Amino acid sequence: MSFVNIRDVSKSFQQNKVLNRVSLSIEEGEFITLLGPSGCGKSTLLRAIAGLNPIDEGTIEVGGKDITPLPPKQRRVGMVFQSYALFPNMNVYDNIAFGLKMDGLNKEQIRPLVEEMLAIIDLKGKENSFPNQLSGGQQQRVALARSLVKKPTVLLLDEPLSALDAKIRRTLRGEIRAIQQRLKMTTIFVTHDQEEALTISDRIFVMNHGIIEQVGSPNEIYTSPASEYVARFIGNYNVWSREQLQGRAIRGVPGEGEMFAVRPEAIRMQALDAASDSAGGIVAEGQVKLVSILGNVLRFEVDVSGLPVTVDMLSGQSLDHLGAGTAVTLFIPREEWKSIKKSS
Amino acid sequence: MAGRSANQHQVKLLLLIPFFLWIFAFLLLPAIIMLVSSFQNDGGQGFTLGQYVKGLTHPLYTDAIKNSVILSFVSALIGIAVSVMAAYSFTTFSPKIRDRLLNVSNIMTNFAGVPLAFGFMILFGTNGMLTLLFKEMGLSFLVFDLYSWKGLAWVYIYFQIPVGILLVYPSLYAIKQEWREAASLLGASTGQFWLRIGIPVLLPGIVGTFSVLFANAMGAYATAYALVLRNFNLLPIQIGGLVSGDIYPRNELGSALAFILFLILIIALLINEKMLRLARRGQ
Amino acid sequence: MRTNAGPGSVGRLWHVAVTVVVLAFLLIPLLVTVLFSISTTWESTILPEGLSLQAYANLFTDERFLQAMGRSFLLAVITVALSMLIMVPTIFIVSLYFPRLEKWMQSVVLLPFALPGVVAAVGLIKLYSSPPFAISGTIYILIGVYFVIILPFVYQGIRNSLRSVNAIELMEAAEVLGAGKPTAFVRVILPNIMPGIIVASLLSLSMIFGEFVLANMLVGGSYEVVQVYLYRMLGTDGHASSATIVTFFALVFLLFALVLKIGNRKTRTYVPSDGGKEEPA
Repeated sequence: MSFVNIRDVSKSFQQNKVLNRVSLSIEEGEFITLLGPSGCGKSTLLRAIAGLNPIDEGTIEVGGKDITPLPPKQRRVGMVFQSYALFPNMNVYDNIAFGLKMDGLNKEQIRPLVEEMLAIIDLKGKENSFPNQLSGGQQQRVALARSLVKKPTVLLLDEPLSALDAKIRRTLRGEIRAIQQRLKMTTIFVTHDQEEALTISDRIFVMNHGIIEQVGSPNEIYTSPASEYVARFIGNYNVWSREQLQGRAIRGVPGEGEMFAVRPEAIRMQALDAASDSAGGIVAEGQVKLVSILGNVLRFEVDVSGLPVTVDMLSGQSLDHLGAGTAVTLFIPREEWKSIKKSS
Repeated sequence: MAGRSANQHQVKLLLLIPFFLWIFAFLLLPAIIMLVSSFQNDGGQGFTLGQYVKGLTHPLYTDAIKNSVILSFVSALIGIAVSVMAAYSFTTFSPKIRDRLLNVSNIMTNFAGVPLAFGFMILFGTNGMLTLLFKEMGLSFLVFDLYSWKGLAWVYIYFQIPVGILLVYPSLYAIKQEWREAASLLGASTGQFWLRIGIPVLLPGIVGTFSVLFANAMGAYATAYALVLRNFNLLPIQIGGLVSGDIYPRNELGSALAFILFLILIIALLINEKMLRLARRGQ
Repeated sequence: MRTNAGPGSVGRLWHVAVTVVVLAFLLIPLLVTVLFSISTTWESTILPEGLSLQAYANLFTDERFLQAMGRSFLLAVITVALSMLIMVPTIFIVSLYFPRLEKWMQSVVLLPFALPGVVAAVGLIKLYSSPPFAISGTIYILIGVYFVIILPFVYQGIRNSLRSVNAIELMEAAEVLGAGKPTAFVRVILPNIMPGIIVASLLSLSMIFGEFVLANMLVGGSYEVVQVYLYRMLGTDGHASSATIVTFFALVFLLFALVLKIGNRKTRTYVPSDGGKEEPA
């Protein structure tokens, strides 16, 4: 029996169907991510679980209880907003204690719980500071603590790291994950950043225009995208239709499938070797157009009879001989040539 | 999902009732009464356009309307010109000084009506300080009769300036330094910048503010009233006289004239709204 | 870096000149009023014959003036208090829960500008001069109409406050944490819009103190407020008039200074994260 059960949830804003019979199940203690671009419905779904947006149809069950008719304050969910929504008139201590006050606890009962939380988020000594005296990362941790201190049944995070800059994001997402695992908190995380999703999730739900396109572990999603949409969204997949492959210098393309995706780092590249054989995979011939340095990865834009192909290789190996203008042979192992569903 | 929010909905609407009642009693109902009254005859009965006919044909009232419009137009025009120049000059100072200057403008908007009339009387009255000073210094040509149209115009211009500065300042402040720099790098002179970029960007704000200043002057009553008791034939003064005159009140005619003034003001406000929308789109 | 309108110091000079001339034009009438109030006699000479504070001594012992001040205070305080009591919840509810109503409100709130003193007086006199609502001539009609006069400014001030603290999100956060709507409003919204409320109140107070047209036409001598008192003193007692004006202006100045102080206080407004700021050790 899943801990969180969402069944056939639909929601329209005016004529726009933002959620289209969405269903998903989450196990207790899991950290799942709703991943997708702006407008795909992920935030709407999250807010529906919190009770902030009413839904048109469907049911939402948490911990075996149907919470669909309940207002937010009775749902016992925790939510961290994108802009944290810390109460500016209260210091850190009072912000964190707020939910407990609402539960009717008195000062003596509240104190140990808040102090415990302060230790977990590593902000001891900042109890009396006000939100505008804290950095972005600190505010975010207070927002997290405020929700967690009430021991909610499920924790909802609405793009909590979007407003922070890259380095802090990476540190903070690791901290969030660590805290989540420590508390075994069932968590739903919303983001548009695929790197973020791949790094911290137990499972990812990739959303597109109000439906879930694919569900799987980060590894599954990354190595086996189910559709063109997912392939284009995750990583830097090369995505081609069968028509696009006609008449190019490519041998060994399998007979089935309409649409294919290949990861840039799965392609092996060497100086042109006309005698390359396509046993076990697909062989292509082309010319290097552009080489970009992406830190520890070198990205090659290769032209295969007019078809652009992206090939990534770890820098550090001596690749000077594969500079722009070089004629090359590409080999793609059969298992890396993924057949995917076409997206409309 | 439905049950709980219907109740809350009702409570929220209930809480809005005091507001609605109040504006009904003191804003909407009086306005409606004024409108209804304007279509009645002198006894307060029937339905007639007679009041409007009188208001728009009788020389006393057409003069009043004409005088008000001219006075408002002139004071708004000069007011906006001075405001734009002053506001622009303000932007050239450091933020601290800029703020002080704007604060002074803000406070001076309160110096209007009766107090302002008094101040001008001390300065430009028959025995006014500057009247006497100019005569002493042989600058008699600078002396004017405060109790004439020219005098009134000066007083109107005076109270337009602080309001004008406050309203027009945000538009001027929006003229970004970068635009001037980019323009000069592309070869434009100061004049060309203002002609092709500055003024077109400012225009909606300026027109909108002009409109507000115009409305401001059209509705002004206290100043003219205080200077010399109803010597000036202005629309608000006429209305005031008809409605609470000591001879005998003619509320219906006053209502018609008031409604005419109301329409003029609404048009001015709508123009301002339109200009604000234009300005917002430009940014 | 200061912006420069024209080449170097010529431009500088122009701006200083314009500013000085405009400021002088604005301040001189007020300054001579002050001068008059501290003069002994100033009939037909360029400058006063002597200086004295007698006018103020007389004013502040004058029963009539003191009563007028008292009435103005009472009127202003009651009106503003009622306005805040009614408008704060109203604007909160409308802007958060009734967006379509808000559009209508935005227009209604601008109506007072098209119904200035005289125009409003027309309908008000007809409506309230006779039973059953014969409040013309009393403080009540002034409270009623002044509420409407300050409405645009109160609306603007409170709505902007709600926007700048991102009231919608604060309410949501509070509700998810277990607060009911009224509790959330009182504990989380109200404290954060208090500066805005106070500023709107102070500005409204100063507006009501300066209002003459309606005070004169609707009430006049039956409930003489400061501006009406001033008008009646205008032709007869220059010293009482000028001293009254200066007192009125001192009050406006005081209210304004308070507004600045509250506005500039390091307001704990809503602050979204500032990204890459280094975490202090």
